[in-house]
Amino acid sequence: MSKPIEFKAGTLTAMTAVVRDLDNVQLAHTLHTMLGGMGEFFAGEATIIDLSQLGKVPSRVDWSGLASLLRRYGLQPVAVKSAPEELEEGAKKAGFAVLNQAAGKTSGDKTVALEEKKKEEPPAQAELLAETASSEAAPAAAAQTMIIDRSVRSGQQIYARGADLVILGGVSNGAEIIADGSIHCYGPLRGRALAGAQGNIAARLLCTNFGPELISIAGVYRTFERGIAEKLAGKPVHAVLRPTVSKTEEEKYALSIEPLQID
Amino acid sequence: MARVIVVTSGKGGVGKTTTSASFASGLALRGFKTAVIDFDVGLRNLDLIMGCERRVVYDLINVVNGEANLHQALIKDKHSENLFVLPASQTRDKDALTEEGVEKVLKDLAEMGYDYIICDSPAGIERGAVMALTFADEALVVTNPEVSSIRDSDRILGILQSKSRRAKDGLEAVKEHLVVTRYSAKRVDEGEMLSYKDVHELLRVPLLGVIPESETVLQASNQGTPVIYTKESEAAEAYQDVVARFLGEERPMRFVDYERPGLLKRLFGGA
Repeated sequence: MSKPIEFKAGTLTAMTAVVRDLDNVQLAHTLHTMLGGMGEFFAGEATIIDLSQLGKVPSRVDWSGLASLLRRYGLQPVAVKSAPEELEEGAKKAGFAVLNQAAGKTSGDKTVALEEKKKEEPPAQAELLAETASSEAAPAAAAQTMIIDRSVRSGQQIYARGADLVILGGVSNGAEIIADGSIHCYGPLRGRALAGAQGNIAARLLCTNFGPELISIAGVYRTFERGIAEKLAGKPVHAVLRPTVSKTEEEKYALSIEPLQID
Repeated sequence: MARVIVVTSGKGGVGKTTTSASFASGLALRGFKTAVIDFDVGLRNLDLIMGCERRVVYDLINVVNGEANLHQALIKDKHSENLFVLPASQTRDKDALTEEGVEKVLKDLAEMGYDYIICDSPAGIERGAVMALTFADEALVVTNPEVSSIRDSDRILGILQSKSRRAKDGLEAVKEHLVVTRYSAKRVDEGEMLSYKDVHELLRVPLLGVIPESETVLQASNQGTPVIYTKESEAAEAYQDVVARFLGEERPMRFVDYERPGLLKRLFGGA
């Protein structure tokens, strides 16, 4: 019997619209110029309205007008992030989810996106998802490393948010481990392992016994339908993204899986 | 202090009830006061394997609902003074099991001086199975040497890690034991079956024993006698080993090596 409701953890790629001015007339004009008035320019992507770089805070915001403006170009606005406190209430009333506040509001300064993200991540906020008991998590306050001192079994998922992930046991087939940083696995790795889940291309994957279903670094993934090369299967392995000669954005990096000498 | 032991597997038909019956009988034979509870509400089997199906009056659900007390519902085993069976209900469904109700039954059994309480889990990972493992101190994970059984056992081990009371309360984890059943050394030798070492390697749970595939298991089940009582049966001896190892004795693994018949045996038949 299937349940009427189920909860599954998942990540969603969302478009971020960095809005610096909440004047809808101004926005409509700019969008028209940018996108050439082409309706449905986007393909229905979930969109987060980022107000971290908002210039002056208006006294009144026409949220529904902003939403319909974005929808006109094929975006689906779902949430507002880094909104000034006085705008939160209105955004909530208009049906937007209000996401975590930036630690310090960065009005006007031109911080690059990566730094921006760091500020918003609470330090070492590591969390266990799905069926994993929270009591077993060992989030060190400052280390930004999540250590799981047991095996991760089929059907379990572990996500080290904003942290590296160290698994002292194995990862079974049908289990999934995800980290925003690097992943180290000391038992046999047989499930799915996704490092650099938020797009950190410097993340790496290290394991002592390589036999996964899938590995991924910053979204560049590899499955092993035809088996794993003999020199890697069951052996210590190091996976890293290496730049390629290709010019296209998607193929800028290739996933390199290399034997790891550990003795 | 009573130890609660769940016999579980995830997958059906791997030998949970057979193992529950023989393991409980083996503990009782050694003088421990033992209760074995059938958690497979709606599909009760344990009473058949134990040969007490005609004496079932009240069941687990009656006790959980307060319609009968434990003394009324517990059935004394026909082989052992120390063993009592608490059958499942055949007419109810698994939703009738409540966490509070199960906890109370287990607590009352502990107060009655039981040394071991064996919970025979239903297959699957639904309510009945979760109820059976929630209060476990130890778990016997029954696995056949084939990939789907191993995958399901792995899944149930994960659920033990997350849903057992010990995990939720942050106590010492449930002690896990692996029992590989329906093992055919011959088929392993011929490369048709995973070896118990493979199973052990995949699940990484301490191996308590390997039970060979044997006709005597089916015969014993049909007669309503746990297989551990069968004389001159490899399966019975393997279950004796399981009980002995569980109680801390060192025993070598038996019935796991296949001896190819020699030339003479092949020529002249032989038993």
